[in-house]
Amino acid sequence: MFKFFSACRKESLILIRDLAGLVMLFIMPMIMVMILALVQEQGWSSLSKDPSIPVLLVDEDHDTLGAKIQDGLKSSNIFKIFTSIEGKPITREFAKEKIAKGSYNVAVIIPNGSTKIIRHKVQVMVTQIVSGIMMPVDNPFLDIQSNDSINIIIYFDPGIKGTFKYAFMATMKEYSMFIESSMIFGSFNTELKKMFPQYRPPKTEYKESVFFTEIFPAGKDEKAVPSTTQHNIPAWALFAMFFIVIPMTGSMIKERDEGSMIRIYTMPVSYFIIFMAKVSVYAVVCIIQFILMMLAGKFILPLAGIPSLTIGSNYMGILLMMIVSSLAALGFSIAVGTIARTHQQAAAFGVVSVVVLSALGGLWVPVYLMPEFMRNLATWSPLNWAHVGFIDLFLRDATIVDVIPQMAKLLAFFIVMISAALFYRRINSPINS
Amino acid sequence: MSEKVIIEIRDLVKIYKGSDEPAIKGISLDIFQGEIFGLLGPNGAGKTTTISILCGLFHATSGSARIDGMDIHSHLNEIKRIIGVVPQDVALYPTLTAWENLTFFGNMYGIRGIKLKEKIAEGLSVFGLEKHANKKIANCSGGIKRRINLIAGLLHEPKVIFLDEPTVGIDVQSRVVILDYLKELNHKGTTVIYTSHYMEEAEKLCSRVVIIDRGTVVSMGNPRELVAEHPEFKDLENIFLHLTGKDLRD
Repeated sequence: MFKFFSACRKESLILIRDLAGLVMLFIMPMIMVMILALVQEQGWSSLSKDPSIPVLLVDEDHDTLGAKIQDGLKSSNIFKIFTSIEGKPITREFAKEKIAKGSYNVAVIIPNGSTKIIRHKVQVMVTQIVSGIMMPVDNPFLDIQSNDSINIIIYFDPGIKGTFKYAFMATMKEYSMFIESSMIFGSFNTELKKMFPQYRPPKTEYKESVFFTEIFPAGKDEKAVPSTTQHNIPAWALFAMFFIVIPMTGSMIKERDEGSMIRIYTMPVSYFIIFMAKVSVYAVVCIIQFILMMLAGKFILPLAGIPSLTIGSNYMGILLMMIVSSLAALGFSIAVGTIARTHQQAAAFGVVSVVVLSALGGLWVPVYLMPEFMRNLATWSPLNWAHVGFIDLFLRDATIVDVIPQMAKLLAFFIVMISAALFYRRINSPINS
Repeated sequence: MSEKVIIEIRDLVKIYKGSDEPAIKGISLDIFQGEIFGLLGPNGAGKTTTISILCGLFHATSGSARIDGMDIHSHLNEIKRIIGVVPQDVALYPTLTAWENLTFFGNMYGIRGIKLKEKIAEGLSVFGLEKHANKKIANCSGGIKRRINLIAGLLHEPKVIFLDEPTVGIDVQSRVVILDYLKELNHKGTTVIYTSHYMEEAEKLCSRVVIIDRGTVVSMGNPRELVAEHPEFKDLENIFLHLTGKDLRD
């Protein structure tokens, strides 16, 4: 056992002596996680908070519809509405040109007479209803179908995300439906007043009566609201954790190139002990890295207006999940470092495979948004196992038993990787590789 | 030197992956306990390959080898306890100090505690390196690195020590210290197997030498006897050139 501790001491000393490298091991992943979380927060949840998305509004209607849409867009706190630029009212052509050049993302054109058309259509419909009450038999007016329609034009920047486009369209439809409903309500009042002079319309305006309450069942804590933070922080933290493949394989190949590993092979010590010492020391690095990234998600990112990371209360589960995730990352690194012959091979294979495994594992795009084939593939990525485990612990208040399947898979991955490395070392000379 | 064979090599062949030409082609030789045995040959002759097989770094393609009566395939772990290896390159951790390097390698040989400290202190003292004990290897000169490289292979007092060109690229003073120490070790009973390109050094140091070329043994014997057998050549270097030719090697 003292050989193991001696090897651990050697690894620790080598790491500590490279202070700049050690600082980079901790600081760079934190910077990466924070920047990616910030960027994705802006990109993915741009319809939720910051009223900074500029929208050009060309109101040719100058009536209720135009005014309501403008008020609605403004009150949504998502968009910044521009009806004029440098004191000049925006025209259709100007808006189209600006969108085509990419200066703005969205422009809405409300054609002249839109409100009149809606009003007329509603008027006809309400009149038909009232006529149906008053003169239901042999009334040809009841069968007239109004084909009037308005066409609100929306220019989108071709580079805009599909999700944003659909969300914007849905918002616009919601406003126009609300306006139509309000008009129907108003027209009914007018017609009823004509029919029954004693009728007194209610003073209240038409208001929405259907509301939605979002609840995210998450164990005991239903306040845990899913956010990009909840997806991104563990996702990018795991991504960074698996990037340990670079320093780890670098250390292994350097040891081989410098000859010290060759000397070790001539000594009465098993390669497994040397592996495990390296794994143990780097596992501590991975865990500290992960904790720092979680702390950044909890305390630093909220300073930039991003929701704080919820980590639940199962700290033992989180610690165990961190350990098995680190082992999976390090087992992979040991296998790559054993098989790769040069730094270049290890770096190229390591980086590309971590990127692929993370993309497959749903770290970049949530698994549920993937096509079915990719969803099936995702279940084979160790990063997916770790991510699912952390999400369960953070948001669903999962117990250790709940995440045993993920932990078992990560541990099995580690064992397979270490076995592969040992097998490769057994059949290949350390000098050859 | 005793008559006991400490290393027995029979028909050893090594063909590297992807190569048609064997690096060593059926080498057979006996090395006796207490010898300083020189493995000589031009570049690519098969010296390092032979030593690597004996140390367990390579598997031979065919043939057998025994060290102290133990087969190198079936008793490799036992063999590793009685051999010391000083690689051609300085095989030390540059960011660790001399003491830290020696402590780690001593531990890997199974030595620890006061015994290890004493062995390290003794090794540093023999080679005049006490004041460099706490210096990082990266900051040491080539000669100091070579001497620490040698100490690292001797901490466990091996029965057999393999040295792959231990004096290459160092000053005369360091070379003399190393060679004197090897003689002293040999007087204490350690068998020394040594490769070198310095014929004069081998002629003075070795009790026997084998000249290997293109993977085969071309001559073997006591260096002085070899010179005597070839009176037309005045020294071992000329015999070596006669046997291996003057063509440049890869």
